Amino acid sequence: MSKLGQVVESIEKYNKFVLDQVKRARTDEEFGRGLLGRWNDIKAKIPATRTPTGLPLPRLALPEIDEAGEIARYLFGEGLPGEFPFLNGAYREMYLEPIREIQSFEKDGEPPQRPARPPLPQAEEPTRLFSGLMLAEDTNERFHYLTQHQRTHRLSTAFDGPTLYGIDSDADGVFGKIGEGGVAIDTVEDMVRLYDGFDLGSPNFSASMTISGPAPIIMAMYIAAAKRRFGPKVVPKLRGTIQADIFKEVQAQNETIFPIEASLRFLTDMVEFTTQEMPRWYPISISGYHIGEAGSTPVQQAAYTLSNGFAYAEMFAARGIPVDQFGPRLSFFLDCGLDVEYIALARVSRRIWAIGMRDVFGAGPRAQLFKLHTQTSGRSLIAAEFKNNLTRTAAELILAYMNATNSCHSNSADEPFTTPSEEWIRLAAHGQAILLEESGIFKHTMNMLSGSPGMKAVERSVETAILDEFREIERLGGVLAAVEDRYQRSQIQNAAHRYEQQIYDGIRPIIGLNRYRNGAEDVPEVKLVRTPRKKQQLQVDRLAKFKKKNAEKAKLALDKLADVVERGENCFPILLEAVEVCSLGQITGRLQEVVGRFRPMV
Amino acid sequence: MASPIRILTAVPICDGHDSAINTINLEFIRHGIEVVYLGYHRSVGDIVRAAIQEDVRAIGISSYNGGHIEFFAEVIALLRKRGANDIKVFGGGGGTITHEDAAAMERKGVDNIFFAGTSLTEMTDYVRKHYGKPRGKRSRPKSPDQELAHKLTAIEDAYTAGRKRSTRNAQSKIRNPQGVHPPRRAIRNTKVIGFTGPGGAGKTTLIDELVLRFLNRSPKGRIAILSHDPSVIGEGALLGDRATMINSQNDRVFMRSMATRGQAGGLSPATHDCLTLLARSGFDYVIIETVGTGQEAMPFQKNGIVDQTVLVMNPDYGSRLQLQKIVMLDLADIVVVNKSDLQRARTAHTEIEQRLEQNRRNQRLIDTVAKRHRDPGADELFELISRGSK
Repeated sequence: MSKLGQVVESIEKYNKFVLDQVKRARTDEEFGRGLLGRWNDIKAKIPATRTPTGLPLPRLALPEIDEAGEIARYLFGEGLPGEFPFLNGAYREMYLEPIREIQSFEKDGEPPQRPARPPLPQAEEPTRLFSGLMLAEDTNERFHYLTQHQRTHRLSTAFDGPTLYGIDSDADGVFGKIGEGGVAIDTVEDMVRLYDGFDLGSPNFSASMTISGPAPIIMAMYIAAAKRRFGPKVVPKLRGTIQADIFKEVQAQNETIFPIEASLRFLTDMVEFTTQEMPRWYPISISGYHIGEAGSTPVQQAAYTLSNGFAYAEMFAARGIPVDQFGPRLSFFLDCGLDVEYIALARVSRRIWAIGMRDVFGAGPRAQLFKLHTQTSGRSLIAAEFKNNLTRTAAELILAYMNATNSCHSNSADEPFTTPSEEWIRLAAHGQAILLEESGIFKHTMNMLSGSPGMKAVERSVETAILDEFREIERLGGVLAAVEDRYQRSQIQNAAHRYEQQIYDGIRPIIGLNRYRNGAEDVPEVKLVRTPRKKQQLQVDRLAKFKKKNAEKAKLALDKLADVVERGENCFPILLEAVEVCSLGQITGRLQEVVGRFRPMV
Repeated sequence: MASPIRILTAVPICDGHDSAINTINLEFIRHGIEVVYLGYHRSVGDIVRAAIQEDVRAIGISSYNGGHIEFFAEVIALLRKRGANDIKVFGGGGGTITHEDAAAMERKGVDNIFFAGTSLTEMTDYVRKHYGKPRGKRSRPKSPDQELAHKLTAIEDAYTAGRKRSTRNAQSKIRNPQGVHPPRRAIRNTKVIGFTGPGGAGKTTLIDELVLRFLNRSPKGRIAILSHDPSVIGEGALLGDRATMINSQNDRVFMRSMATRGQAGGLSPATHDCLTLLARSGFDYVIIETVGTGQEAMPFQKNGIVDQTVLVMNPDYGSRLQLQKIVMLDLADIVVVNKSDLQRARTAHTEIEQRLEQNRRNQRLIDTVAKRHRDPGADELFELISRGSK
């Protein structure tokens, strides 16, 4: 049985354990009394808060139960926010604002007293906006624009097509793609420009990089760029995330450049390095987003993401990295659309991950956490009457925060057309601020919307469906075997086809498309962000200069790299040297000579 | 009867959005169109080379990652440079291609851009209406490959139109196809190798690995591939081998994908004549790949133009008794057990070995894992093929 099969057993066993505890609480008087005592204790310790209108509320809402069996079911089955099995949240207080001074509203006519100082923003804003356009300096400018009002600088970087496929800007036929849909990065010098002006070693800075196929090379460039600017001592201080999720590329997104096994090896090389040298870095973001965007059902998305995660854990453990070292450095990324499953998809995922990691991999508390970044669904946004996309995104944001996501990206309404423009990005960012800061839904009380009978029904149903998917993958020989068999790929494509058919048949209503069409011209006036030819040429010229300058050193570095890869050693330290003098495309090309190219699954 | 429309579809370089094109391909083939699918992340050079070799009527490009104005323009410019003005270009990209972009692209020679919301029926109708008319007089080919491609089309069209009828056994005897004259250049020592085997055994991947070895070994050599896929009901066909054959998208490889057009047995009625032509066209090797075949199939024999036959097997052929029924096991010169990393492969090797010994024909049995880079089994097969004299 693979680890995934063991995970299924561990969940079943845990669910049975919960039922046993419920039964025991009802039959074993002493145990029951103990639970009641603990419950009353928890309730007594919940701090109180007041809303701006003066309404008192607890900072944590709990179900109104006073019977030992139900208390057992809640505490063991769901857990308080921040407690195993983490159904209600990975952390205790998440988005709650700091406790307000209790203000007097009692005297008639008198305005409420202003607090001595405005409440501090929470420790770290959960907003993380994805951006990348044109050349490094243009994206850099956008980063500064986005973070101008933020105390913490959490940058999320999108790369252009050539970078995502590990090829250089001077490659045949890619000219028009330079800087389109993301930033063009060819060399360490571009990487230096990209984050110019940000303090990469600061605890208030973190960089997220959405790239998988060539992730180890880009990671090496980031480290090299940081060292150029801040010296070698900055390395252990670097904070951020790199996507590096090969499984989902093969399953859904098609940005794979080496054969699967070689890709997984390079990934593990990088993870081995970062877990040792960069304790604050997340070297992989296990991503369901692209699986969802490629058309999977929500259950498929969660099931494939989790099973991919367990497969990575198995791989890293096999390399000899201790689970409590790599476990806390894994992060997850899910899509949030409008289907009802999204009410609880991430909640259920968090619970399955925690139980599997604890009971199958022997992970300690920090390595059990399913740390989640969510993005609202790009696929749910459409071109027709595109301003409706604001409402779609708003609804998705509510769902995402109901799932207690750790961070979130809200899509811009103009996404169906182009790289988002500043106006719509601003609206998207403000959407989150309105929800979290202006509205009272999430800032006063944890569990504000948890535990409704409907939500619980969805949780049960989704969990069962995810475990069924696990069993199927296990039957196929585990995640890698299923991937090579194209299992997940076919399932996703099938679901995508069904989705389109449902839209076509009108079973799936899309407002403005198959319902309530106004018949007006479908493509609105949206100012497109396109990379000017002059900039594209500049990128090509810069690269030529870099290659010329380093020609001799590059040859030596590439030979050394190829040699280490042939010998089967960890190649990441050599990559760190190579990126100083080689471009992305030079490195990819040489590695492909040694390990081969990825053969598309069609 | 007129030949089915042949078109090529692809997704541009640095773009992995293949979900739309997959759906569209299926719709096209359901409506009688033969689609040569090149896959995603494909360069301008790959697309134009394939379009010329396959001699398609049009190229459909599905682009979702930006840079479409330049990309489409480069495809058209290269087609013109190569003298393939008769190959038209159309495409789409959901909401990413605006009306303004489309106008600019059409000025540069793109026939049509489909916008978000276009129904599959509209697309199919468009292709049938614009690319379904019989070809006029063809202009002079600008390259030997283009000339060869035109001649292959003429052979296929002649068969489909009923001007020529298929002989029952494609390999019965060599005939000089009417109206098709082999190029006058010196006939080189071309070796013709036939690959057959059940669907999913890995023939295509294995051939592509052999091509890679050939290109590395022989810096100036050229190779031709004649690949087959079945026509479906409705007479269309998805000719998808190029999408898998990443190493074969090379100027030194001439590849032609053929649909079986109603003939059973893994080949097309026009195969024999096309193969004859290719065998006389100065390639070092010509590889012919059948569609996935069953037990009774006997697509080629050695007394024809095929010099060497390779049967590629999957370890999962079923019981030992099933093995006795596979006719090709008696005829193939080389039998390959691909996917030999599967658990069942050792048993398969033993059983097939026994079966071959009964034949007393000195047939070779090789285990490969074609999907693995630098697979020693694929090396062995390559050596065997390149060593064996014609």
